[in-house]
Amino acid sequence: MLKVEHITKYYGDFKAVDDLSFEVKEGEIFGLLGVNGAGKTTTFRMIMGLLDYQDGSITLNGKKIDYSITDEIGFLTEERSLLTKLTVKEQALFFGALKGMSNKEILKRLDELLKRFEITEYKEKKIKELSKGNQQKVQFIMAILNHPKLLILDEPFSGLDPFNIELFKEEILRLAGEGSMIIFSSHRMDHVELFCKKLVILVNGKSVISGYIKDIKKNYRKKNIFIKGDIQKEELKKIGGVLEVVEHADELEVKIESEEIVDKVFEAIKEKKNITKFMVEEPSLNEIFVAKVGESYEK
Amino acid sequence: MRSKLNFLIGVSLARKVKTKWFVVAQILLCLLVVGMINLDILIKSFGGDFDDAVKIYVVDETESSYEIFKEALLLNEKNLYGEDSALYEIEKIAKVEDKKEEVGDEGGIIVDIKKSEENTIEVELISKETVDTYDYSLISSALNSVKVVLVMDDLGLTAEDYSKIMSDVTITTSLVNENNKTEEEGTEMIMTTVFPIFILPIFVLSLFLVQMIGAEVNDEKTTKAMEIIISNVSPKTHFFAKVIAGNLFVIGQAVLTCGYGGLGIFIRHLLTKGGSGGAAFFDEIGPMISSMLESSIGDKLVIILPLAIVLILLTFVAYALLAGVLASMTTTTEDYQQVQVPIMILSLLGYYLGIMAGMFKGSLVIKIFSFVPFISAILAPSLLVLGQIGILEMIISIVIMLLTNFLLIKYGLRIYKVGILNYSSSGLWKKMAKALKNDSIR
Repeated sequence: MLKVEHITKYYGDFKAVDDLSFEVKEGEIFGLLGVNGAGKTTTFRMIMGLLDYQDGSITLNGKKIDYSITDEIGFLTEERSLLTKLTVKEQALFFGALKGMSNKEILKRLDELLKRFEITEYKEKKIKELSKGNQQKVQFIMAILNHPKLLILDEPFSGLDPFNIELFKEEILRLAGEGSMIIFSSHRMDHVELFCKKLVILVNGKSVISGYIKDIKKNYRKKNIFIKGDIQKEELKKIGGVLEVVEHADELEVKIESEEIVDKVFEAIKEKKNITKFMVEEPSLNEIFVAKVGESYEK
Repeated sequence: MRSKLNFLIGVSLARKVKTKWFVVAQILLCLLVVGMINLDILIKSFGGDFDDAVKIYVVDETESSYEIFKEALLLNEKNLYGEDSALYEIEKIAKVEDKKEEVGDEGGIIVDIKKSEENTIEVELISKETVDTYDYSLISSALNSVKVVLVMDDLGLTAEDYSKIMSDVTITTSLVNENNKTEEEGTEMIMTTVFPIFILPIFVLSLFLVQMIGAEVNDEKTTKAMEIIISNVSPKTHFFAKVIAGNLFVIGQAVLTCGYGGLGIFIRHLLTKGGSGGAAFFDEIGPMISSMLESSIGDKLVIILPLAIVLILLTFVAYALLAGVLASMTTTTEDYQQVQVPIMILSLLGYYLGIMAGMFKGSLVIKIFSFVPFISAILAPSLLVLGQIGILEMIISIVIMLLTNFLLIKYGLRIYKVGILNYSSSGLWKKMAKALKNDSIR
């Protein structure tokens, strides 16, 4: 289990990460969310031991993360971190050896992953000759070459088309299925909702929301009601506890401050004609994020 | 499991050696060294009349000039080119027409000496092409001698009188301590022949080292591969791997260059076996080495050489450490090119001071420079050979270099750890100053 406990990091007088704590268990996919500069990459770099921190502790299976256990970790950085003059094979032999793998192990695993990511023909090609998307695939392959127990993915889907995102998703889910602990950050909330059971939302280095997504959504008091029928927007707005009414193509979305308001809204519309839909939904992660952070993450 | 340090050293070396450019550079270097050693043979092999004697045909209308001219010309030649020299074949002919056609076809010079009322003799030189400056000056000098002898004959002076008038004043040199003479000769030989051969490679190799390490660190930094590398090996391991690999590379390059030199000598030996072409290498270098070893400098070299090698190796390590630290602080290749300029200037200063050390004997400033790290590798051995500093000063230079390396490792490593993961040039010096105070290096 990865345990991050009360870590605090200062850059000079600037507090980049403030008393951050979370845990990731075997087989869990954990989301680290926040706007640019929120402290996500700093947190990743602290976990990898690339940055020192002033307070707190980071342990993997009870051991402080140092160079004796980094062979068990995979790391994909936000920016490309490949030696572009090397071929894919040379790159794998280099990074694999740094993970303590033998050449035989590396080449076997590389062939397997190149096949899975459908880029076997690029094995002997130099990285600089590949497209951005294929470079990202190679970078991902390098990160998972060693079957990592802990996999850190900083914006893994950047520069990928939907087809390749699917390939990545499959592999991430496969690794989680094999028991890897996976932490990742992404600008795509739909990916976070799809993958993660747990997350932390960082604002200015501080955790504003953390825990299991289902609990976060459950505990988030605000709900949305979708209504289809002959009813005016203004009528709904007059109901106490209704925060906002959004008009979609053929339905209205009523945002309410708590679950208790549902009955009041229902009372107001039940006599109306042609009501074909009345559906109460939990808010999306993006809504919760916007509400907490104050701006859209997906802009 | 492979040691990550050894692995990184191997990777660094392989990146330099397993390239087409390395192979091309080695082939060119080998050709250059072998070519330099066999330059004379090479030039002659393309043809030319370097060893052919110049035929000089003399038409002596005075009937008393030929023998004097011949004797004077050969004497001038021996004085200038040595006893074994045979640059000229001199032949007396009756008239210009006898050889004019031959000279027009094959070369040579016709010296037509005629009587002159005003100037005793007057001469016409007839040749196919313009007469070579050296040949012209020797012929001219010989003809002047002819004129002087003829005038003296007219005046009734004997050959003995002529000899007395023309002979040079004998000047002999002697030193209070005769041993100094052989020592100075040995020293001069080392400073003029052996030293330039060694100083230049040291200078070039130190530049190689600085560029190699800087380029590698910079490449890993600019591609951000450094993050992955440093998340798997400590900055300390990474730093030492670069320094060791860099030094192994330049030492290897030095050995290879010596090997090319050996190959050049071997080729020369084969080419000169039959006696044709240039002189055998050992015929030329052998007397030089034995003369050097016979002088008192030979005894000194037994101590100077190991000390110089130790100092040079320590300086290479220091160059590598400094290059690594500076490269870690830069964020682009252009930045590094600027940063390495001071190192190059330092190296260049050492090179020039080493070359000029013999010109400023007794200079205190140069003696002080011989203790300065980086410069000392070239300067201290030069001054030791010249007798300007003693063994003790040389050892002090080595100790200072050791101390420099220790400080570069102790404080440089702190900068390196922070520098290699820093991608912003803003507040760089502040960050580095802060890093210097932090001693928690993994």
